[in-house]
Amino acid sequence: MTDRHIIVGQAVLPVGMAPDAITLLRFGAVTRNAHRIHYDTEFARSEGLAGPVVMAQLHGCLFYRAAAQFAGEGGQVREVEWQNRAPAGVGERLVVTGTVRAVGGADGEITLDLVERCGSGDVVCCRGRAVVVLG
Amino acid sequence: MFRNAELELVEERARASLGAWERRSLGVVRAEDAAEFARAAGERAPRLVDPGHADFAVHPMYVVSLLRGAPGAEASELRPDGMYRDEVPGTDGLGVRLMAGGQAVRWIAAARAGDRIELRRALTAVERKGSGEGFVLLTVEKVYGSVRGTLVEVTERFIVR
Repeated sequence: MTDRHIIVGQAVLPVGMAPDAITLLRFGAVTRNAHRIHYDTEFARSEGLAGPVVMAQLHGCLFYRAAAQFAGEGGQVREVEWQNRAPAGVGERLVVTGTVRAVGGADGEITLDLVERCGSGDVVCCRGRAVVVLG
Repeated sequence: MFRNAELELVEERARASLGAWERRSLGVVRAEDAAEFARAAGERAPRLVDPGHADFAVHPMYVVSLLRGAPGAEASELRPDGMYRDEVPGTDGLGVRLMAGGQAVRWIAAARAGDRIELRRALTAVERKGSGEGFVLLTVEKVYGSVRGTLVEVTERFIVR
C-alpha cells in the first residue's frame, strides 16, 4: 500500500508521444483498423481533414498510460474515458496532462481529470477522466 | 442520395435497431499480439512488450481496441472508406462520413493470454445534433467477456455526418 498523500488539484504528470505514419500503420494493422482516414492523405482530405489522423484507440492508450503512471507500480486503472474534440494529425506531438478531481472514493479510488493537447498550438484534441487506485 | 436524406436513413435504421444485442467473436488472445499492440502504442515497460517476461500482462487497451479478431475480415465486409460495414449501426451502404466520438472503458477483470474473447454489443442511443443537417450521434454499449465472465465494459460514441 502506498504512503503517497494525494490532494484534489494535484497535477498528473504528463505523458506524450508523436505518432508518425509508421506508428499509425503498425497500430492499425495490429487492431485490424483499415479506415482510410488514418493512412490515405487524399481520402482524409476528401473527408474534410487536413490529412491522416490518429486513431481514437491510440488516444485512449495515452490516456490509459497517464492514469497508470499516476497509479504507480502495483496500482490499478479501473476506468478511462475520453471524448474526441479535434482531430490529431500524423506527426503531431500528443501530451496528456491532468489534475486530481476527487480523492477517497470506494476502495481508495481517485478520480483524475485528463486532457490531451496536440501540436504546437496546444489544441485540445481529447478531454476525459480516469479512476485509479494507487499501488 | 443527398447527404441529408442519407443521414435521415441512418437515423431511421439506427432507431429500428435500438437495444438489439449482437455477438461477435474476437478469437483467442495471443501474448505476442498483445505485446505487438503495446509496442505500437508506444509502451516500453517489459511486462507489456515482452511476452516472455515473468509478469507479462496483456495491455488493458488491447482487447477493446481490436476491431476484428484473427484471421481478419473478407474484403466484402469493408466499406469503400475502409471501415467495417457493420461497425457503425445504420450506415451500411451509405456514403456518410464516420468519426469516433470517444469511449468510456470500465475494467472488471484483466484479459489474459489464452482467453477467448466474446463481444456483445447493442446500440443504446440515437441523437440528432448540431444545426442545419447536423450529425447523428450513436451510442453503443459493448461487453467483452471470456469463460471467466465479463472483463471489460465500454460505452462508445460514433459521429455520422
